[in-house]
Amino acid sequence: MLKLDHLSKQYKDTLAVDDLDFEVKSGVVTGFLGPNGSGKSTTMRIIMGLDRPTKGRATINGKSYHDLAAPLREVGALLDAKAVNPSRSARNHLRALAASNKIPYSRVDEVLDFVGLTSVAGKKVGGFSLGMSQRLGIAGALLGDPGVLLFDEPVNGLDPEGIRWIRDFFRTLAKEGRTVFVSSHLMSEMAVSADEIIVIGRGHFITSGTVDQLTATASGTVLVRTSNPGALTQVLPATAQSEALNDGALRVTGLTAEDIGNIAFAAGIAIHELTPQRASLEEVFMDLTASSLQYGHQSPGVPS
Amino acid sequence: MTPTLWSAIRSEWIKFRSVRSTLTGLLTFVVLTIGISAVVCIAVKSHWNDPGSRFDHLVFDPTSVSMTGIFLAQFAVGTIGILAITSEYGTGSMRTTLSAIPRRLRVVLAKMVVLATAIIVLGEVVVFAAFTIGQSIFKGTVPTASLSTGDVARAVIMAGVYLTLITLFAFGIGLILRTTAASIIVFTALLLIVPVIVNFLPSALQNDISKFLPSQLGSSMWAATQPTQTFAWGTSTSILALYVVAIVGVGSFLLQRRDA
Repeated sequence: MLKLDHLSKQYKDTLAVDDLDFEVKSGVVTGFLGPNGSGKSTTMRIIMGLDRPTKGRATINGKSYHDLAAPLREVGALLDAKAVNPSRSARNHLRALAASNKIPYSRVDEVLDFVGLTSVAGKKVGGFSLGMSQRLGIAGALLGDPGVLLFDEPVNGLDPEGIRWIRDFFRTLAKEGRTVFVSSHLMSEMAVSADEIIVIGRGHFITSGTVDQLTATASGTVLVRTSNPGALTQVLPATAQSEALNDGALRVTGLTAEDIGNIAFAAGIAIHELTPQRASLEEVFMDLTASSLQYGHQSPGVPS
Repeated sequence: MTPTLWSAIRSEWIKFRSVRSTLTGLLTFVVLTIGISAVVCIAVKSHWNDPGSRFDHLVFDPTSVSMTGIFLAQFAVGTIGILAITSEYGTGSMRTTLSAIPRRLRVVLAKMVVLATAIIVLGEVVVFAAFTIGQSIFKGTVPTASLSTGDVARAVIMAGVYLTLITLFAFGIGLILRTTAASIIVFTALLLIVPVIVNFLPSALQNDISKFLPSQLGSSMWAATQPTQTFAWGTSTSILALYVVAIVGVGSFLLQRRDA
């Protein structure tokens, strides 16, 4: 089990992590979602005892990372696939890791086999593609058969087949009762690979929940077609916003389809179409993090 | 089943022997020490009876001259010491290392044990080889030294100890600076350039300062007859060891405090 306890990390003038306080459950895949630069990697480094939090703490099975006697047997992490000495072979890299935590060498061959790197185990890591490096990183994370697993942007650089493999792999790990915590800046990726999602922006917590919960809570819109749009906008309450579309339809925000139907009926306005439009996960994400983008984009186009 | 310092040492040993740079570094070290020493011995022998070399004969120490290659070899072992830590920062693998061994002092200790063991074993073999080859070159023309003389045996043994301490000294610099380039520059400056600068100071000052320089400490350690303006070999060894403790101490303190 992984728990963040009012975790903050202040760099000189930026607050990279701002009072994060949540628990990551075991048995499910938890997505850690946020735009680039929102503090996901920093949070993961703090969990791994690499960076020192300014306030609060992160615990694994109730202990700080520093207090884990054999950390690799409790936590496995893939933070940066390229963080390996390129002139060392894959097998020697894993053997050094195994030796440090008293893990038998036979386990090294097991995990190499599992990720499909047995045939290149004696080759230097420097010659590996990003996909191969990712798999070596996964082998390293699995070495100690840990109950908690952290992956920082694991699908980056993977081909479609690799992405599919890794999604199934996360599910399997979760089904085995492990805690699986996966960061990503891609909502679409999280929508298919995570059960629970925690959204952060600029270091602070925005929301969390299942994929369904997130889309449900987001403010949906309703598409309305009527013979008299002008009259309908008159009778809608001030809290609702309506927008006239080009084809004469109205897009209403802040009311349910039911409410709109009732109001129109009471006012004697004929309704031709009334369609609730569910926000896509991508829209929800954009909506939630719009105000917290660290590096915003200009609208597309070349500056004149 | 709890990992110990010994597990960390085993891990570091695998890392040490599994990269090419260690092998090339050690090979360079062996070739430089033995090769340069032999070349110097041959040169000394061929000019031994030149007219006007009488003064050289008075201060001639066959022991230290037969190990002259150390002057260059110390940069080879220094580089090995520096790379043992800076290559981890350079490749980003320091994060992997510290994830596996969160007790950072244990990492420092394990790395030092591996470095010291490798260099003392290989170093002693190499300096004994250089000494033996040198004496066999001198034989017949130039006075030779024998290991049965206490000071000679001590000088040869301390040559290996000097190389080991200088390796750890370089490791400490790497631990503080974290980049290979900066560490090699500082290490080289301390060993080569600072002595040149000290040379330009007024001689009274020069004599007081120069005997504290690593290179001077070394030359008193591995000479059979104590050179002028140096401490006795025992004092020199202690001072150099103190430098190592201080510099690694500072490096460890920083490692504990810094984000990896």
